[in-house]
Amino acid sequence: MKEEVDDVRLVNAVKRFGTVVAVNDVSIDIARGSIFSLLGPSGCGKTTTLRLIAGFEQPDAGDVFIRGARVTSMPPYRRDFSMVFQSYALFPHLTVAENVAFGLRMRRVARGDRARRVDEALDLVKLRTLADRYPRQLSGGQQQRVALARAIVVKPAVLLLDEPLGALDKMLREEMQVELRGLQQRLGITAVFVTHDQEEALTLSDRVAVMHNGVIEQIGAPREIYDRPRNAFVASFLGASNFVEGDVVAADASLIVVDTPAGRVSVHGERPIGERARIAVRPERLRMQRGGAQGLPARVRDIVYRGPVTHFYMDSAAGPLLAYRQDARAGEWAIGDEVRCTWDADSAVVLDEGGE
Amino acid sequence: MKSAWTWFLLAPPLALALAFFVVPVAYLFWVSLHAASPSELYGASLTLRHYTDVLGDPFYLAIVRRTVGIAAVILGLCLAIGYPVAYFVALLPVRRRMLAMLLLLFPLMVSNVVRAYGWVALLERRGVVNTALRDLRLTDAPLELLYTPSAVVVALMTILLPYMAISIANTLAALDRRYEEAAQALGASPARTFLHVTLPLSTPGIASGTLLVFLLTLSAYVTITLLGGPRSKLLVSLVYDNVTAFQWPRAAALAFVLLALALAFTALILALLRPGRVQGAGR
Amino acid sequence: MTGAPTAGSMLRGVATIVAFALIVVPILIVVVAAFSPNDYFQFPPPGLSMRWFVEFFRLDNMRSAFALSVELALASATIATILGTLAALALARRGGAAGGLLQSLFLAPLVFPTIILGVALLLLYKTIGMPVFAGLLLAHCVVGMPYGFRTVLASAQALDPALEEAGQSLGAGPLRTLVLVTLPLIWPGVLSGWLFAFIVSFGELNTALFLTGPGVTTLPIEIFSYLQFQGSQLVIAAASSVQIALIVILVAVIERIVGIARITRAR
Repeated sequence: MKEEVDDVRLVNAVKRFGTVVAVNDVSIDIARGSIFSLLGPSGCGKTTTLRLIAGFEQPDAGDVFIRGARVTSMPPYRRDFSMVFQSYALFPHLTVAENVAFGLRMRRVARGDRARRVDEALDLVKLRTLADRYPRQLSGGQQQRVALARAIVVKPAVLLLDEPLGALDKMLREEMQVELRGLQQRLGITAVFVTHDQEEALTLSDRVAVMHNGVIEQIGAPREIYDRPRNAFVASFLGASNFVEGDVVAADASLIVVDTPAGRVSVHGERPIGERARIAVRPERLRMQRGGAQGLPARVRDIVYRGPVTHFYMDSAAGPLLAYRQDARAGEWAIGDEVRCTWDADSAVVLDEGGE
Repeated sequence: MKSAWTWFLLAPPLALALAFFVVPVAYLFWVSLHAASPSELYGASLTLRHYTDVLGDPFYLAIVRRTVGIAAVILGLCLAIGYPVAYFVALLPVRRRMLAMLLLLFPLMVSNVVRAYGWVALLERRGVVNTALRDLRLTDAPLELLYTPSAVVVALMTILLPYMAISIANTLAALDRRYEEAAQALGASPARTFLHVTLPLSTPGIASGTLLVFLLTLSAYVTITLLGGPRSKLLVSLVYDNVTAFQWPRAAALAFVLLALALAFTALILALLRPGRVQGAGR
Repeated sequence: MTGAPTAGSMLRGVATIVAFALIVVPILIVVVAAFSPNDYFQFPPPGLSMRWFVEFFRLDNMRSAFALSVELALASATIATILGTLAALALARRGGAAGGLLQSLFLAPLVFPTIILGVALLLLYKTIGMPVFAGLLLAHCVVGMPYGFRTVLASAQALDPALEEAGQSLGAGPLRTLVLVTLPLIWPGVLSGWLFAFIVSFGELNTALFLTGPGVTTLPIEIFSYLQFQGSQLVIAAASSVQIALIVILVAVIERIVGIARITRAR
């Protein structure tokens, strides 16, 4: 197995602002060349964590490592990183080219080399023709690219991005997401970015850390945390989810049977018999059947057509249920219909306590 | 790291402010508590005599009363004229408003002694007013317009008027027009809108203008002396006289009585107008 | 404003005209008097003459007072603005009780009765034996510092804090960030602060009243002395007009550079 070097490591980092603990014992390892995202609602501590890596905040406890070097007490201008800010922070008094050249000037790169590398960076973001413009003459999307070029031209050990696409409209954002990922892969730069948009995190990242109240709820690859959320918070934050609860009545090697108020369901997982278990199922994994003995009985309460997907809101004895059907034909189901909801045992997940 | 840099930046200005502002004023207060001395700057023994003298002696009290009285009149006039002017300026379109503000600002840049001299030239025996009155055959003998409290009031009022107007105009101009529109939508006439919405919302400007005018009136030695003459002395004139007579402890005490007046007035205005409650009423 | 003039707007218009007349007429009188060919003021003036300006520059005490005022204003404005800028940069992002207290301290000379400062400084200078010009210079630095502090504070606070962080993320230490990022963006505030400090020093009376001495007088104090002891003379009108002219030129030049908005907003 190839040994991956961690480019960034946070070890038990703690940051307090007065009585508020913004970052509560957070540990992260980020492999070289990967994209790592910090995802969570506003106030969860993700931006503070990013700023701890950058050095704009000093941790009250714990350490920060960049490429193996302990940088915890090092000021930002000595750490090997660069950053794309939410407001882009392009220097208004410098041209696009001068902005991009700034970091190279700081690193005392010779003028000829500097010009060449600036041109290369601007080519990468396709803005070479605007090199002599000033930031105020550019559109939001163009400014964002300049900010990106300025950050990558210095070839940092890690690239930090603070909600970089937040100010862009939806279409531009999706376009930039693809470009960003392409760029990162081509250059092989380790990147850490902060976002509150779960779709963005799932699209761009190799690994995601879901944060809540200063704590990391779960870290993993996008598919892993989406399909196998650890608790109710992660499950709800990454998308809609159904929740049913009941007592465990049977358990064997990998399967447990849970007795919900609406009936018995099987799910992959481990729980002792007699304990309470909470199950999460994604709406797109819920199957709707007419009749039969399998699954939970429910009644259709509302049907919402949403283009490629139709939402079915149902009520059952185990609580509300939501199903997404991609190929639902008009008239196939009606409000008031009796339905049986089933899912594959490995489509559901048993949740840990906590994370509310 | 960041703190060290901040202190590095802060050290020189802080040193100046402490050494040549805080320390001298504190030293002055210290001296005011000493007895007078014929040979030294101040005597050795500590005493509150200078303060009790001022507060007990009818001569000093009369001066203080006259000072406060004149300041009050000036203040009233500045408010009465300054507010309408500020309103007018605030309603101008941006470009013209900027020009008007510059025109208001410009006189303040001219030294007070020059502006006072203008009034001397207007009011003196052979000054503009008297010459005009005589040419128009309205009077035979020149009027004694100069060296009266009224001359001081008129001159200081015109000198300090721009401070009041600019203060209020800035506040009015920053007010969200929608407050007045909301009041009118609720049925208030222009007069009532002004009284119940605009005026209260402009209290920060009124407060800062009032404070500025009052404080500057207390300090305006040159104008008071040139226009009031030896018979219209105010508190600040006494401070000067005592300094030139080398009566340092007395001069110091009088200076602090002046300061106390200023502070008392500030407290009064802040309590009366409570400008803090309307902060953030701008756009 | 639309519609017919209301009672309110007419009142305001009248008040404004009256106010401007009251404010401007005395200054105008002085300037017109300076060009009078006679020994006394006459309106309308019979002709225009430069004799009083010639007299102004002929008189040694007037000339040296003018020179001193200019030197003093240049020096004190520059020092005051540098110090005010340092203080503003230090306090721009610093909130809390300490920051508020320090801000109040740096703004205090704007409202503190300068006459008391003059007395206090004279007492201090007499006690420690301070040379006259240095003492005057320091007094004017104290009086002028709040102007630079205020304008630079406003400029610095208007800056996106991310700009300085961006500089640091690219490897610029605190000093280089200050020089390459912050200063180029706040210089209009620095310049307009300098302008105000200069103008204030040039016309300052209350501390100069106590701190000037034989041979070391400023122009305003010289004018005041003349008025007190030699009565109204037209050479004073010329001196005053020179003071006014200098200010007009300075404001016009700075306005070209930073624009009216900066100057009026600074107040």
